[in-house]
Amino acid sequence: MAPTLAARLADVTLPDADGSKVRLGSLWEQGPAVLVFLRHYG
Amino acid sequence: MRAHEPAFREAAARLAAIGLGDRQYARFFREETGIAFPLLVDEERKAYRAAGLRSANLLHLLRRDNARARARARAAGHRQHRLGQNPFQLGASFVFGPGNADLFAHVSETFGDNAAPAALLAALRGPATGRSSDAGIRR
Repeated sequence: MAPTLAARLADVTLPDADGSKVRLGSLWEQGPAVLVFLRHYG
Repeated sequence: MRAHEPAFREAAARLAAIGLGDRQYARFFREETGIAFPLLVDEERKAYRAAGLRSANLLHLLRRDNARARARARAAGHRQHRLGQNPFQLGASFVFGPGNADLFAHVSETFGDNAAPAALLAALRGPATGRSSDAGIRR
């Protein structure tokens, strides 16, 4: 079975605006999460 | 999204946004908008590529739906300060759940094609049973 999109993104780690690393999968590990991909900031 | 933050909190959902560019502009965006949820920076487009998000092109600027979207944004007081490193990158909105479940997907087909907050909230409140793998999935 093909991995879900959530599974494909789960292990991607990105910095937040303050430089702290966030593993995307941690956002929806305990409950639902809305993830919005913007075109750009500003 | 900002205006609907209380509704998302009530639905016990976490919010996060990913943008291109750098942390400086993410901080500027946070200060200007007052957004409290995480703003993540994807300078290398790792997440965009993993999500299969594509770019538009100059011809999209000529689309009527884009002109309407720009007018709506201006009317709402949004101002574009900087185009960013890839001005043609298209966005998306997803709702994911525990166990890496895909609950909702809206992949933008052009600029200004954004998921309605009501649709995102509906996905959060939707029934847990009887949902097909493509329910609510618009790609």
